[in-house]
Amino acid sequence: MSKSSVAKPKVAFFDFASCEGCQLTVVDSLQTHLDLLDAVEIVNFREAATLNGWDFDIAFVEGSITRPHDEERLKRIREQAKILVALGACADTACVNALKNLQPPDEVRRYVYGEHADWYETYAARPLSAVVKVDAVIPGCPIDQEEFVEVVKALLVGKKPPIPDYPVCVECKLKGNVCMFHIGKVCLGPVTRAGCGAICPTYGDGCEGCRGIIPHPNENAMEEVLDEAGLTLDDIMHRFTMFNAYREVETGKW
Amino acid sequence: MRLRVLPKGQVPDLVRALMADYRVWGPKAKGPQFAFEPLYDPAEMRLDYNISILSPKVALQPPQERVAVFRMDGGFTVEPVVEAEPTVIFGMHTCDLHALALLDRAFSADFPDAHYTERRQQALIVSIECLQPCDEHSFCKSMGTWTADSGYDLHLIDLGDAYAVYVGTEAGEALLAKYAPQARPAADAEVRRLNEVMSAKWPRFPHRLNFDAAELPALLATAYDHPIWTELGDRCLSCGSCTNVCPTCYCFNVIDSPELSLKEAVRLRRWDSCQLDEFARVASGENFREARAARQRHRMFRKGKWLYERFGELGCVGCGRCIRACLTHINIVDTFNAIHASQHRR
Repeated sequence: MSKSSVAKPKVAFFDFASCEGCQLTVVDSLQTHLDLLDAVEIVNFREAATLNGWDFDIAFVEGSITRPHDEERLKRIREQAKILVALGACADTACVNALKNLQPPDEVRRYVYGEHADWYETYAARPLSAVVKVDAVIPGCPIDQEEFVEVVKALLVGKKPPIPDYPVCVECKLKGNVCMFHIGKVCLGPVTRAGCGAICPTYGDGCEGCRGIIPHPNENAMEEVLDEAGLTLDDIMHRFTMFNAYREVETGKW
Repeated sequence: MRLRVLPKGQVPDLVRALMADYRVWGPKAKGPQFAFEPLYDPAEMRLDYNISILSPKVALQPPQERVAVFRMDGGFTVEPVVEAEPTVIFGMHTCDLHALALLDRAFSADFPDAHYTERRQQALIVSIECLQPCDEHSFCKSMGTWTADSGYDLHLIDLGDAYAVYVGTEAGEALLAKYAPQARPAADAEVRRLNEVMSAKWPRFPHRLNFDAAELPALLATAYDHPIWTELGDRCLSCGSCTNVCPTCYCFNVIDSPELSLKEAVRLRRWDSCQLDEFARVASGENFREARAARQRHRMFRKGKWLYERFGELGCVGCGRCIRACLTHINIVDTFNAIHASQHRR
């Protein structure tokens, strides 16, 4: 197939409640993978360019949904996009935004907006998939640069993006790391989705679960591991709360 | 078998000399544990290591490697990639030596694997005898792998201030002649010392299996529906650590990754694990080993029965790595012993 016969997919980036760090990672990957710019045409990317086109095929959406009118905008994006990708943990699992879901909503609003709390109509933070159909996710806080590039490649050839459904332990072992539990540290790697290259354990810190929980965690077994590491049930919940509060509220489990 | 003696002080010189012509892998400290890695300085090598986190198979079957390159720029070509270089694996323990023999069979059976066999052919093995069990988890004596009389090019036995060096192959003899010309035939006193060292070794190693390992295939033949598999399944995290650290596991997944230009793609293979949820998912969408219990049973059967039936060697060498790696204390020795006990209770 000749190059001219295939139009480059038009790509747009959008964001909701987030730190925009995942889009910054995308900008960073444009510097290390210049050929990304040959492979796609970016038509909307507020973070990095003065483009605001609405004619796109693939939408990468960062951020959690926290307001009713976020939903309207997200649904418009969904209508336009052939493929909608949740970019990063805020979009994938509601990440740290969901911490507020653990508190009474009115209190949270007053704490943040003070006397103007009534001006801001916010609700419990949720991932994109709670509002629209999501075709693919890129987990992580922030996303992994190489994984982002791999997802783009998969989308270019029409394949399912290769997001692992196994835990961080797999990548940690392939790296030949010393197990965090063997040096007295606590690690959520055994139930956290891989794809980060076990970056935290590789540099000596236990996994904090930023990429979300694997599809079929053995919860009892994991609790026993953490119990043996000296954590109380409360400690265990707190460990998972930082990045997985949405799951906690929705399922009643960590 | 020829026997030489090499003063310990000359080992760094030997390794340094080898490093000029070979990629030399050896055991190095990694935090409080040890790992087989390429050596850049002979002083990094720790021949006193107890056991390595991953087995030295990493030098021959790397966790990830390129196996082919596709070019799709005006046509379609496939080029195999074989990444191999002259290699010496220094300091391999005998359990891993036995595992290597099994990998050699697995990768040369039916359709010989070019990637493994090429690396293997370019690799020389300098092993070392363990004089102490590495810890409470090793059960090499039960598996008959606590020593070896073949499978190496050179084999070292610590005599105190020198190593006894068994020469296992012509390549080993040549290596010694070229890189350690100081090695000399063993004197009578040194042979006596060697016998003392080896005699003192035997009683230090316990048997941990409560029965003869040769019985394993027959024992498992009647244990397919044993309740212990459910118990293991309840405890298993499906993290794959047991198989990733195993010296005889060789399963891999194949991944095609295109360049962004879509003009070139690389085919990678990466270690895979039968313990992972999706390992047995097939094209129809069915997953024929969906339960953790079935996956643990599969692993234990591979080690104790199926590889024996295929290659005539048990698939377990008793290194104990899977036991150390398991955060929920799934223990292959306890499992085999429990099955044995329940079948001999009647």
